Amino acid sequence: MNSNHKITLFLVDDDAVYLKMLENDFIQQPDLDFNIETFSTGELCIESISHNPDVIILDYQLDGIEKNAMNGIETLNKIKNYNPEIPVIMLSAQDKIEVAVNCMHHKAFDYVVKSETAFLRLRKIIPAIFHYKKLEKELRWYMDRM
Amino acid sequence: MNTNFSNILIETHPDPLAIITPEGNIQEVNHAMTNILGLTTEKLTGTLFAGYFTDPFKARELIRQLFRQETVKSSSLIIRQARGTMADVLLSGYAFNEDNGKGKGAIIFIHAITSQKLALMYARSLIEASLDPLFTINTEGKITDMNEASINITDVSRDKLIGTDFSEYFTEPQKAKDVYKDVFDYGFVTDYPLTIRDGKLTEVLFNGSVYKDDSGIVMGAVVVARDISAQKRIESELTEAKIFAELSTGIAEDAKTKAEHATITAENAVRAKQQFLSNMSHEIRTPMNAIIGFTKVLLKSDLSPKQKEYLTAIKMSGDALIVLINDILDLAKVDAGKMVFEQTPFKITLSISAMLHIFESKILEKNLKLEREYDNNIPEVLIGDPLRLHQIILNLLSNAVKFTTKGTILVSTRLLREDKDEVFVEFAVKDTGIGIAPNKLEKIFENFQQATSGTSRLFGGTGLGLAIVKQLVEHQGGSISVVSKQNEGSTFSFVLSFLKTNVAAENETDTVILDSEIKDLRILVAEDIALNQLLMITMLEDFGFMCDIAANGKIAIEMIQRKPYDLILMDLQMPEMNGFEATEYIRNRMKLHIPIVALTADVTTVDLAKCKSVGMNDYIAKPVDEKLLYRKIVNLVQGSDTTAETQALELKNKQKARCTDMNYLIQRTKSNPKLMMEMILLYLEQTPPLINTMKKSLYDKDWNLLYSAVHKMIPSFSIMGISVDFENMARKVQDFASTQQQADGINDMVNKLENICNQACSELKEEFNNIKSKTNELKS
Repeated sequence: MNSNHKITLFLVDDDAVYLKMLENDFIQQPDLDFNIETFSTGELCIESISHNPDVIILDYQLDGIEKNAMNGIETLNKIKNYNPEIPVIMLSAQDKIEVAVNCMHHKAFDYVVKSETAFLRLRKIIPAIFHYKKLEKELRWYMDRM
Repeated sequence: MNTNFSNILIETHPDPLAIITPEGNIQEVNHAMTNILGLTTEKLTGTLFAGYFTDPFKARELIRQLFRQETVKSSSLIIRQARGTMADVLLSGYAFNEDNGKGKGAIIFIHAITSQKLALMYARSLIEASLDPLFTINTEGKITDMNEASINITDVSRDKLIGTDFSEYFTEPQKAKDVYKDVFDYGFVTDYPLTIRDGKLTEVLFNGSVYKDDSGIVMGAVVVARDISAQKRIESELTEAKIFAELSTGIAEDAKTKAEHATITAENAVRAKQQFLSNMSHEIRTPMNAIIGFTKVLLKSDLSPKQKEYLTAIKMSGDALIVLINDILDLAKVDAGKMVFEQTPFKITLSISAMLHIFESKILEKNLKLEREYDNNIPEVLIGDPLRLHQIILNLLSNAVKFTTKGTILVSTRLLREDKDEVFVEFAVKDTGIGIAPNKLEKIFENFQQATSGTSRLFGGTGLGLAIVKQLVEHQGGSISVVSKQNEGSTFSFVLSFLKTNVAAENETDTVILDSEIKDLRILVAEDIALNQLLMITMLEDFGFMCDIAANGKIAIEMIQRKPYDLILMDLQMPEMNGFEATEYIRNRMKLHIPIVALTADVTTVDLAKCKSVGMNDYIAKPVDEKLLYRKIVNLVQGSDTTAETQALELKNKQKARCTDMNYLIQRTKSNPKLMMEMILLYLEQTPPLINTMKKSLYDKDWNLLYSAVHKMIPSFSIMGISVDFENMARKVQDFASTQQQADGINDMVNKLENICNQACSELKEEFNNIKSKTNELKS
């Protein structure tokens, strides 16, 4: 991965405490340089989508308390409409197969359950995304040559 | 044929015509010829025709050829026209015999080339010059025309190519037929790959399109074969280069991994060295503690003069050994980059007085004169590391005293310069001792170096003192220098910068007046080694203090819960529960502010930092210096507002179990107070509205909202260290909520959650203020 490049990371969660914790965890990563933007709602995330994030970590349940708020899947759809290439990792407190499958159907890159190990998983997925993108790009290059 | 008619025909022909004799002289010309040459018939007749061309030799040669071969076709020449202009022409001619009655001769046609024709010729030359083979084929697939490149690539002459079947020249004739079928079917073909059957089997791509006559009927097709062998070669080279690049990236990555391994190995080595030194120091200090301690105890008892002399010798040797260990450890710390400098307010005058005081008796003993110069422009209180400054001055003074037998030792301080924030102070120690030879001057700051190898025999010392001084000065951003003349004396001077401050200096430990009134302190010693237990009891009882012993941290905690103490002396390495764990428990769980002093044989900075971080007030290195111990105890007990009685009360109040635990937050924020405060503040903002939502939704039987509210509470439980029982309780509430019905116990559980969250909020508020006041203390 290009080490000079700052990774623009969007964190979206309506739980302010968890959001701060996550932001702090990413800031403390010594090997990856993040440019982090945090949003408490899906609407705010979409407003700033033109900043072209490299990765978005998105909470599944954004409309729990605010009934009119856009939920995680709606936000995910809007992101994918804007640019289907932006990888989105869904985050949820629910460890349920339907939720995971639903996220995958809406083209989330991965699904992580909010637990003690959640950050570690996120931390592992991000390099995996870039690795995957690189492979995809190389494959496209070879296909073009064929 | 009528001669007259012939004449008229010639005369009126639009192209210039001439009839010449076999000698090349003009016999007759037509009107067009006189026009183009701008001369009359009379003037032209009988002149050499070749003379009217820019290249008369070529013209003459053509005329000769004409008579030899009876004809010449479209030979290109340049004619000199009237008014001196030139024109491109084509010359054609026919020789005739005398059957027309005029004798032997030849008729010559001059045909002016128009621009259109030039364009056609130009186009043709372009086609011929193309490196790609070009063919035209008719609807039957026969070749009708081609360019030079086609001839070269097929190696068949132009005449032989014309009229042959186009498809014959390829390795796969059927495919070639498909090409021209495609051209005629679709009107064009693009990039159709074929291989030409030449010596090299050249690979080509075919492009072609049909051409039509004016009425739109397809006449044939033009096909272009592009030789792609070079392209193919480049492509394969590119692929090779790519593979090669990937291979070398792999090699580079291997090298990087190796380098990383090497770095890790090196780092491990440094860590191992640090660990070794730390262990060694611990292993030596522990027995030394007992040796020196009991020697001191013995020295206080009734002794014969001889016994006293021997015991003094033991104590001095022990002291010297401790100094050596300290020196080695200091250097190791500097090497490992672990040397940390404090930034505390202190008074330089007091520091220097204290240092001089230590040497007073020695100086008097050696009958030396001690002078002191102090620059009063230096601000009274400055910020720096007084302990390290002491260490530097102590080392320099001790050298000065050691190497001087008569004369004066001068200690001076001078304000070099100052700006808004900083002052630069020069310290100098000047002696009239043995001095240092010029060739040794450079070496004296190196490890284990003394000016002469005999020095240590004569004067003692480890040879580490100056090395440490240099490191201490330079690591604080200062510089040290020495001026010396053998047998006259040396001057060591160093410059350090200090920050200015308005804050008053802390009570200097060295200047506290010992309060002989302080008696009857209750002190708990947590120490596992019996010898050291005995030594501590002896010392503390000697001070007039009461003393209890706990063999490990766990016992110590039990004893504190039973009985109040004024101070704890805490050994760090103990079985069951070590000093760090015990202190952490006392500070975080029991919330006691009782002073705790670490007893450590292990004085690496790493451990000292840890002592502070778990909440110890101070530390004292083994072997314990009696006076230092007393001073530290008295200072802490006086400084602390909480006496044993108030602590007992404090303990009682704290009995109510705390529901939050900052350990997780401390660990996750790496003890960053700002971050911890931010997190706590966020929790305090977010939680009360959530509690309200939870209660209201239960009341309204809005199960979805109840589910969501509890859902949002869950992640912060673990962050704030709230017991996992409540997290499970919250999940149970969620389960009930998702079944959409009132269940037994749900009210009770929501109440419990509300209570725990409220308690957490109040505890966290307290915690927030604690952190805040602590950081403010640090700032001031």
